Amino acid sequence: MKKMSSLLVWSMILLSIAVDAQTDHILSAKNLFGSLNARHIGPALMSGRINDLEVHPTNKRIIYAGTAGGGVWKSNDAGTTFNPIFDEYCQSIGAVGIDPTNPDNVIYVGTGETWTRNSVSVGDGLYKSVDGGSNWTKLGFDKSERIANIIVNPKNANEVYVAVLGALWSDSDERGIYKSIDAGKTWNQILYVNEKTGAADLAMDPNDPSILYASMWEFRRTPWSFESGGANSALYKSTDGGATWNKIHNGFPEGNLGRLGIAVAKSDSNILYTVIEAEEDERKGLYRSDDAGENWKQLNNDFGITVRPFYFSRIVVDPRDPNVIVKGGLNGSISRDGGKTFKSLGNMHSDIHDIVFDIHDSDRIYAGTDGGVYRSMNGGTTMEIVENLPLSQFYHISLDDAEPYNIYGGLQDNGSWYGPSSSSGGIEARDWNSIGAGDGFRVLKHPTKNIIYSEMQGAENVWRYDVENNLLKTIQPLPQKGNAKLRYNWNAPMAISNFQPDRFYMGSQFLHKSEDMGDTWTIISPDLTTNDKTKQEQENSGGLSKDNSGAENHTTIFTIAESPLDQNIIWVGTDDGNMQVTVDGGRTWTNTATAIEGLPKNTWVYHIEPSSHEKGTAYAVFEGHSTGDMNPYTYKTTDFGKTWKSIITDEIVGFVRNIQEDYVNPNLLFLGTEFGLYITLDGGNSWTKFTNNMPSVAVHFIDLHKKTNDLVMGTHGRGIIIIDDISPLREITSEALSKKVHFFNSKPFVMKDQGGFSGSFGTETQFVGSNPSTAAHIKYLLPKRHTFGKMSLEIQDMEGKKITTLSPGKSKGINIVDWNYTIKQPKVAKGKTFSFGGFTAPRVKEGTYKAVLTKGKDTFEHEFEVVYDKHANLTAEESEIKYQTIMKLYDMTQDLAYMVYELDATLEKVTNKKLKNSLNELKETLVITTGDNYVGSAEPQLREKLSELYSKLASSYDKPSSNELDFLSMLEERFNNAQSMFTKYKKKAKLKDLQLKSFNDFINE
Amino acid sequence: MKILKIVVIALVIGFVHKTNAQTADEILSTYFENIGGIEKLNAIEGVKMSAKVNQQGMEIPLEIIQLKNGKQMTVINFQGKELKQGVFDGETLWSTNFMTQKAEKSDKETTDNLKLEMNDFLDPFLNYKEKGYQVELLGNETIDGTETFKIKLTREPITIDGKEEQNITFYYFDTENFVPIVAQNEIKTGPYKGQMGEAKMSDYQEVDGIYFPFSLTQGIKGQPGQGITLDKIELNPQIDDAQFKFPEEIETTETPKN
Repeated sequence: MKKMSSLLVWSMILLSIAVDAQTDHILSAKNLFGSLNARHIGPALMSGRINDLEVHPTNKRIIYAGTAGGGVWKSNDAGTTFNPIFDEYCQSIGAVGIDPTNPDNVIYVGTGETWTRNSVSVGDGLYKSVDGGSNWTKLGFDKSERIANIIVNPKNANEVYVAVLGALWSDSDERGIYKSIDAGKTWNQILYVNEKTGAADLAMDPNDPSILYASMWEFRRTPWSFESGGANSALYKSTDGGATWNKIHNGFPEGNLGRLGIAVAKSDSNILYTVIEAEEDERKGLYRSDDAGENWKQLNNDFGITVRPFYFSRIVVDPRDPNVIVKGGLNGSISRDGGKTFKSLGNMHSDIHDIVFDIHDSDRIYAGTDGGVYRSMNGGTTMEIVENLPLSQFYHISLDDAEPYNIYGGLQDNGSWYGPSSSSGGIEARDWNSIGAGDGFRVLKHPTKNIIYSEMQGAENVWRYDVENNLLKTIQPLPQKGNAKLRYNWNAPMAISNFQPDRFYMGSQFLHKSEDMGDTWTIISPDLTTNDKTKQEQENSGGLSKDNSGAENHTTIFTIAESPLDQNIIWVGTDDGNMQVTVDGGRTWTNTATAIEGLPKNTWVYHIEPSSHEKGTAYAVFEGHSTGDMNPYTYKTTDFGKTWKSIITDEIVGFVRNIQEDYVNPNLLFLGTEFGLYITLDGGNSWTKFTNNMPSVAVHFIDLHKKTNDLVMGTHGRGIIIIDDISPLREITSEALSKKVHFFNSKPFVMKDQGGFSGSFGTETQFVGSNPSTAAHIKYLLPKRHTFGKMSLEIQDMEGKKITTLSPGKSKGINIVDWNYTIKQPKVAKGKTFSFGGFTAPRVKEGTYKAVLTKGKDTFEHEFEVVYDKHANLTAEESEIKYQTIMKLYDMTQDLAYMVYELDATLEKVTNKKLKNSLNELKETLVITTGDNYVGSAEPQLREKLSELYSKLASSYDKPSSNELDFLSMLEERFNNAQSMFTKYKKKAKLKDLQLKSFNDFINE
Repeated sequence: MKILKIVVIALVIGFVHKTNAQTADEILSTYFENIGGIEKLNAIEGVKMSAKVNQQGMEIPLEIIQLKNGKQMTVINFQGKELKQGVFDGETLWSTNFMTQKAEKSDKETTDNLKLEMNDFLDPFLNYKEKGYQVELLGNETIDGTETFKIKLTREPITIDGKEEQNITFYYFDTENFVPIVAQNEIKTGPYKGQMGEAKMSDYQEVDGIYFPFSLTQGIKGQPGQGITLDKIELNPQIDDAQFKFPEEIETTETPKN
């Protein structure tokens, strides 16, 4: 076997030499992540954007939520809680479709969100599950980018229709309506207009599956503008299952049309509603047809109906009443008079994208918003948020050095927040603090003061919040005399110096520097962008509906990065493709992105990561998705940008958003792409996708915590995801991999004393982020999974005495086994009830211990250190007294257990009635002999008192108090009395042939 | 030595089959062959397993008894007292209440669902066709860094909160040794309802010619699980039927009025 593997290595090396003589050694992380798992901490309290909701046609408990960036979630308790069912695939969802003939099993998911705001992600095709969402198969549509609807013929499950909206930023012919007659195996494009016009909505007549309605929409985004509408937007009808299509515009407004929504009333399929984006404001709004589309009549053009058609055009009819209709919108609108008048839906998060009615009861309505799923029990008047959907969409995150550290970040339409990386009882909704309004982006903690900077879109406000004194001001650089108008990105960059804590940078088209936390500003650069005027006409953006929110601001600075090694080296990246560097604190600037091989001109500089190992080294992430270029681009320079080398391989799927360099091992890099996290151990020669509890979510920003080595990711759809302590990855080498077992080094483990109350009220239905483990981690690398034969793990002291046994991990790659510093709980005397204190296991003393791994005949040892928690503030002597006192009580508890065992055995044999009574009387003072474990408990006896004091001390951070020691001496006295009394009775009993286990056998049984 | 032998056999078999497409039945038959053979497995009438669970530093000894006739129980030893959990006599499912230390029956739905498992003794795959189960090979998947065959097992539907639901488990068979190393199924009830439960199996060791996994780790998929280590497995143990009987406290009226 060994020969074979070395042969393999050889042929691999030869192969790589043959392919590229310069290719470095490959050290792949494939299959090595083992039990290194991602931890999700939310937050869920503001949730995130929902694209599509879908109800099961016959089981009212089942609801699906297709989310904009967080995958597909399924509820099986009528929307009280949800679970993710699509983690391994693209997390941006356009539509969920259920086969009505087999709704428990057959589900289709079309990826790529369809409410085309500037920050939308992209899809990668159509998927199908035949087992209720456990397993998925891809059905193609690789280039579809966004899928708007999926409809299965209720009378013939082989007939499936898919509406493909298609590419947002580029031409594409993979658009329009597609039909399959073999349940998704093959597809025919049955309605196509042109490469700019996609299918925005599709409806089927519930009474006649051959009748279809499709809305086609001409639309296009560029990084600097948006265009909705054109001569090709139209509403079509087919009466022959999609073979032929006709426009149905009788009564429609004149001129170009924009995005149209379409809905058919289930209770009367002649009644149709459409929402029209038109040239004239007066003719926009809701239209109704009472003759299946022959004629249309305008009913309403209220704000709630016409607002932002690209974002809201969903119209839903109550399945039981053709005159009750609901329209998505800024607040969502409901009509009960067939569309003549509307009122807003009840208070909830704004931006309502989809609404569904319960299959039996129209009082029960579910709505999908920019802030999660809401449910109503009273027809939409009172809306209640689903609290366990952690779909938060971070643009950016940062960390502080508190213990536990906090994570700061801003969210799409959900402000800015900070919250802890761990909290008593888990990280709950209430652990998160709001630190900004509007759309949130970058949030930075002042390195030394209790001050937080945050911002909203386009740097309209940059806040400086004095946390201690609860004082707030805005500090954004303002236009100055003699300077051009400032152009800020929607997601405007800000940065804190690594060297001067009060120094704060902001980027417009210029780099602004402040030395006093934003009170005064100096511009330290020329316009660093291309300043292309044709990309600065945002007031004309929107098409038929003007939409100048600032989201399309362009030719701006997007990233600022000061070298961690030299404050005069600053990198600046712009959204129009310039990557500028200064090595003299801003006096001179060089654009280093002028000729990078394989990189299209003007590609957005998304992130620059100056190395913490070499001054001249940096990594640059470019991405061009908003021009339709979905390729990954990441480059490395070692000469201040004079030359750049790509570190991308074919293994990477999705365009790149971020890169993080390890502080210790320069070859260890983490790459955040639109479809997940990739890790390289060899400086980018090979990449491996990390999938351990890590969904294929867009990773917008990564940071590595210096103290804990935690990799923290700000995802755009699944909140904050952490991989605790990535340090084992630093140590994986070919040498480590060639060993039977390689133990990873670790810093001394702190036996944490800190902890408080968790008060888990409400967490039954709320998302609670998991905490990191505070145990000691025995970490080792296995070259192969252990499946056959015995494998065990013991903790021993340095004399080789066993302290405890643990369940070892068996996975190939990294294994992490927790030991919570305790020895076995004491053996407790048998009574009628339990002695709850006796379930406490005491911790060991601080010091060095051994992990001893036995695998078959081989034994492997690893030494590690555990230390006391400094927060407890005990001297070495006090800690020793504490330890000795606890162990004294531990031993007394076990001695008592043996005494009671011996007493019980004696009682069985003794015939003398008086002696029997005496023994029973003694026993009654030793353990509880009546009652139950709850309120029927009896008066505590010696066992209960001992274990009470024992667990009181063992669970305390503090040394024993004099009060506790007094109590101990009282118990000792009682114990000694009991013992001498028992010795006396034993003598009296004269049971010479009493068979007893030895103390050790008894304790270890 | 025997372990070595079986591994070698499995390797050889794996090699032979490498070029051919595997079917679920081929995988299962190799599996049964590798762990001791169908005849031997069918001949077993019951197992008694002694195990230890290490929970938050607390070591809890367990004894798990499973009989071919569906009777089963888990006996936990706390502070010298035995607590019986999940005791099933073929008709009644009961457990000892922790507070009162008295026996209490499980709800009817849970009991009925367990009754459906009476034919699953030793391994649900054993004679699965006669039981009317369906088995499907879904493909290859890497789990625990190890290449596996993913096999879907569909058993009798169960009832959850009054509604019938499918009973599906996914098994991952190591492509080298043809033994399951992971099993996953959707948790149908309780606080983790809707999430995927996961059990990992390892430390396969021989007991009287049959291989059993002596180490199990159970939990939620993607999260650290709870380890159970078996110290000993006894085949065909002699267990008094009375052990499974629910100790009635309430007098049942023989003939209910009206």
